[in-house]
Amino acid sequence: MVLRNKWIWSLLTIICCIVVMAFKPVSKLKKWDAETPIHEVLFALGEEKPKHFLKKMTPEMVERGKEIILTGQTTSPKGKKSSRVSKYYQCTTCHNLVQEDPDLTKRDPELRLDYAIKNKLPFLQATTFHGIVNRESWYNDDYVKKYGDLVRKANQSLEESIQLCATECAQGRLLKGWELEAVTAYFWSLGFKLGELGLTDQEMGQLVEGNEAADPEELRAMLKSKYMLKSPAHFGDAPPNKEKGYEGLTGNPERGKHIYELSCQYCHKEGGVSWYTLDDNKLTFKELLRNIPKEKHFSLYQIIRYGTYAVPGHRPYMPHYPIERMSNQQVEDLRSYIVQEAK
Amino acid sequence: MKLKTAILMLLLMGSLVFAQEKELVNGIFRGSRIINSHSLETQRAGEFEFILSHRFGTIENGISDLFGLDVARMRMGFAYGATSWLTLGVGRSTFEKTYDGYVKARILRQKKGGLPFSMTYLGSTAIRTQAFGPQDSIAASKFTNRLFYTHQIMIGSKISDRLSIQIMPTLVHRNFIDSREEETNDVFAIGGAMRFRLTKTLALSGEYYYVLPGQLRDGFVNSAAIGIEISTNGHDFQIELTNSQGMQEKIFITETTSRWSDMGIRMGFNLSRKFKARGKWF
Repeated sequence: MVLRNKWIWSLLTIICCIVVMAFKPVSKLKKWDAETPIHEVLFALGEEKPKHFLKKMTPEMVERGKEIILTGQTTSPKGKKSSRVSKYYQCTTCHNLVQEDPDLTKRDPELRLDYAIKNKLPFLQATTFHGIVNRESWYNDDYVKKYGDLVRKANQSLEESIQLCATECAQGRLLKGWELEAVTAYFWSLGFKLGELGLTDQEMGQLVEGNEAADPEELRAMLKSKYMLKSPAHFGDAPPNKEKGYEGLTGNPERGKHIYELSCQYCHKEGGVSWYTLDDNKLTFKELLRNIPKEKHFSLYQIIRYGTYAVPGHRPYMPHYPIERMSNQQVEDLRSYIVQEAK
Repeated sequence: MKLKTAILMLLLMGSLVFAQEKELVNGIFRGSRIINSHSLETQRAGEFEFILSHRFGTIENGISDLFGLDVARMRMGFAYGATSWLTLGVGRSTFEKTYDGYVKARILRQKKGGLPFSMTYLGSTAIRTQAFGPQDSIAASKFTNRLFYTHQIMIGSKISDRLSIQIMPTLVHRNFIDSREEETNDVFAIGGAMRFRLTKTLALSGEYYYVLPGQLRDGFVNSAAIGIEISTNGHDFQIELTNSQGMQEKIFITETTSRWSDMGIRMGFNLSRKFKARGKWF
């Protein structure tokens, strides 16, 4: 009888615990502030964890990931120096690590250039790693259309994207399991924080007070409306007549100068990733100007819109700029700067 | 004494300019060679350069030997950038089967709004390995007598976007000279070179070595060369006309015999390809 009572009491205790937990107020909300990563908030609001979520993330993993991103190699958990992921590039050759769009809900290259000038950021072909874990697809739109099966998996998976970037974009090798985890852990450390989303006091209040009346789904949707879940990527064309340039557009040499410095010279500086140096020498501008009408990649229209390809014997190449990364207007701005400097 | 003080002051000024962190002037010359001469440029750290040079026979025989193309001297060389300021190199020339090894060290760098010139030191050793003939002195075949040394200071400046110049006070020491002739073991020469860029990828170059009188026996003349330089990504081509058949200092400075005035002109080329041996490629 005593034994039976014990069982009943135990069962009642478990049921009570479950009931208490189920109806427990969302007390965690009170801890959320500007520094709280938004994934924590979303998970607390019932968001399903993405495939690239790591159950275990240590500061060591983050540090290793950062080293891989910045230099292409790191020290493995066993203490051995890893080989370089790519002989030619590191991730930061094409990607920034910090916020690059002033408004996270827009991908406007004009606004981005202003932001890059103000914050002295490179103006690059690929999107920033800041907030990359908060996106829901990668290698979007025309990348899928053009490259098909090569990028289809990467379009739906951050881990596949990292591997695709390492092997195809950087012309390197696949990352080992621990390297992939380290890079992913570093990416999680670059995720958006509540304070970066530009939430109104009212919106922040909804989260902080944990208004039980608010629908978690609505809160999640509100949060996700504050940033883009994907970076659109559409490929542009060179103008049909390169001599005339893009129809109806007039370049601004002042903005073109910034593009030349923050974009072209980022890779084509002395000691940069390219043999083809672009300095401020008049001869360089004359050469660029002379090549503009040509149907080859030395024409700025051609190289910006189509890039070059890695070929056997010469793996380094230049990726093109989708129009979201450099607008036609900006190409004309660059051209006008070259024309001005070549005189 | 005054000269020493002046040089010291100049170096001191250079050091002061360095301290101001001004922007370096890059690419005074495109490659590591001007024509026969070294340029003051060193390899980037971890960069490996393969350079293949040919000097053909004189053009004086015309079509019969295809303007000298039937006769060729070749040097194959490798240079490696141990650091961004120190280059180590080796090479072998078919002329007297001569091997050479050298170090090139940057001493000063030209800076925008600062020091107006760059300075590099070149130290080179050459060994003749070709067997001596019966007409040569027996002493010449001794190993130490086969050695030649060159010390050179290269001072150069990018005068404008198009024009770069370089002067090269040079000392060539020959361990052995034929005592039957009026010659000196040490040969002092002053070289001058220029590069004029026609476009971003095309340039004209020229160089001339003046050997101070009384050091070489009759028949030896000063080396002079002109060339055209074509640069592509990774490859540099130099096509030249010169009166020297050697591509090592001891040969073209002290052993040039052909005269431009007598059609003793030779065609030649340098072809260089750079690789990255250490660190990230680019």
